[in-house]
Amino acid sequence: MASQSWMDVLKSAKKTALIHDGKRKIHYLFTDGKEMVEEYDLKTDELIVRKWRHKSTLGVQGQWQVEVGEPLTSSASTSASDVIKENCSNPIFMRKDTKNSFQWRIRNLFYPEDVFSVFVEPSERCIIIKTSNKKYYKKFSVADLDRSQLPLDGSALSFAHANNTLIVTYKKPKEILSLEQELLKELKKLKATAEGDVDCKTQ
Amino acid sequence: MASTKVPEVRDITRIERIGAHSHIRGLGLDDALEPRQVSQGMVGQLASRRAAGVILEMIKDGHIAGRAVLIAGQPGTGKTAIAMGIAQSLGPDTPFTALAGSEIFSLEMSKTEALSQAFRKAIGVRIKEETEIIEGEVVEIQIDRPATGTGAKVGKLTLKTTEMETIYDLGNKMIDSLSKEKVQAGDVITIDKATGKISKLGRSFTRARDYDAMGAQTQFVQCPEGELQKRKEVVHTVSLHEIDVINSRTQGFLALFSGDTGEIKSEVREQINAKVCEWREEGKAEIIPGVLFIDEVHMLDMECFSFLNRALESDLSPVLIMATNRGITRIRGTNYQSPHGIPIDLLDRLLIIATSPYTEKETRQILKIRCEEEDVELSEEAHTVLTRIGMETSLRYAIQLISTAGLVCRKRKGTEVQVEDIKRVYSLFLDEARSSQYMKEYQDSFLFNETQTAAMDTS
Repeated sequence: MASQSWMDVLKSAKKTALIHDGKRKIHYLFTDGKEMVEEYDLKTDELIVRKWRHKSTLGVQGQWQVEVGEPLTSSASTSASDVIKENCSNPIFMRKDTKNSFQWRIRNLFYPEDVFSVFVEPSERCIIIKTSNKKYYKKFSVADLDRSQLPLDGSALSFAHANNTLIVTYKKPKEILSLEQELLKELKKLKATAEGDVDCKTQ
Repeated sequence: MASTKVPEVRDITRIERIGAHSHIRGLGLDDALEPRQVSQGMVGQLASRRAAGVILEMIKDGHIAGRAVLIAGQPGTGKTAIAMGIAQSLGPDTPFTALAGSEIFSLEMSKTEALSQAFRKAIGVRIKEETEIIEGEVVEIQIDRPATGTGAKVGKLTLKTTEMETIYDLGNKMIDSLSKEKVQAGDVITIDKATGKISKLGRSFTRARDYDAMGAQTQFVQCPEGELQKRKEVVHTVSLHEIDVINSRTQGFLALFSGDTGEIKSEVREQINAKVCEWREEGKAEIIPGVLFIDEVHMLDMECFSFLNRALESDLSPVLIMATNRGITRIRGTNYQSPHGIPIDLLDRLLIIATSPYTEKETRQILKIRCEEEDVELSEEAHTVLTRIGMETSLRYAIQLISTAGLVCRKRKGTEVQVEDIKRVYSLFLDEARSSQYMKEYQDSFLFNETQTAAMDTS
């Protein structure tokens, strides 16, 4: 029922599709003014990028917030470089899904595997990564599960560490899998503009 | 052996410049709104200060909007000083916009647009917004200055919480503000990620030592927990004009062509008014009517006055304070004469505060305050002489003489300004009356004196 309502929200959103670079790019404009962009691989139908943008209360256009995929390089925000930014040696957190699971990769973690502990915090609906040497800590929620209002299950969670990268995997529940199937079918029905400019309305 | 001189690293601590009204810190009233003779840089003008105090309370309550006040009086009787005093007592949270009557005449913008922008700058909206902040204890700050002394500085800042540690690269601006705030290892700080604003929360408990010399106001706080970057709700005040500007900017690439000439569409304004009212009803925002101060209001013309008439009736309207030094004069843009150069229908809506010329004692007192402000020592006789000059010419001229006499005194390596110094500058610089006298005597030898007489008659 709950996962259905998210589907309805998606269906009611104004969608624009574009095929470019071997990727199917979909832009969603929701009724509340939020924007979402998804990019799927044309061959494997895997989700590569999902990012969000919304206006602040005062009406300032926000920056893109990346939910899935490579974080945006800060080349666009040159003005912010004058202030403060993370050093490049810091851990980089990103989400990269596979067909059957949500997956997060944290690069630049040079610590042995046994310092890490990853667990689910059901009361706050989030996953926590902790290090016993107090160097890294991350609390994050699974947006897909939140949107569909599904519970977090500790047994679906696993993690591995290799090549200075920590990989956290969470098995997608079957509700999510079916939802994604359905959405993909819907998206393929969309008439995608191949290559070139989308005819945008002039203001 | 020649010792090598290490070039001094100059830190940017702001030097405050002294303005004409920088000695004013408030209206100088006690709790019962009774004016004190000399207080907060204000001297005399008891009745008008008391009146301004009543207006101030009215503004502070915030219930009354759309009232207008006129401060009228001769030049140099403290009209602007009273307005500044009101601004100072209102504090930084109430918007206070000051402009001169002639500022609204611009070719880029219509007069009414400039006025509405000024009106909207004077109305604040206090609203909650979520921002991203970094909160943590400073482990280490490392700032590398280039050996040559010029060029970009490079900095690194290591912050930690109880759970994690992160290294940040610092930009130039950030380095400056960190050194201005004197942030050091062991401080717990928050940094607003968008604006780069730093606030010190205190020292970390883990760094507390018995033998450390600490100021009395040093606070000890716990090291923050969890993640370094957090989203926090902060309350801040923005003016309606700022919201207008944010929302009127053309989106996307079209912004490149539109330019920023500044006319804001009335539809945008209406939308924002509606939105703000909605926020207010939902309890998300609070409206703070501020103060719009228009100096030299006689410079406005008829159209502006009729606009003011209308604008004061809107429910989103600030308290309007105007000041003028004119008596009965022509209203700009018409051929009618009217008191203060303001049409009668607008005058009817105003509360008028009159200022009167200062007495000798008050002049003396003001000069003393200004001397303190400008850091000039005055001998007793010089003070008396200066007071006489102030009474006979004008207060402004006497104040001008303070700094010039101070300079003359310093040049002769004196510590206290003597009568001679005053005499010296009095002979060097003419006051208005002497200058006019000089003109009358030597008019014939000036350029264009043939046409002068005709031109003088008309003005």
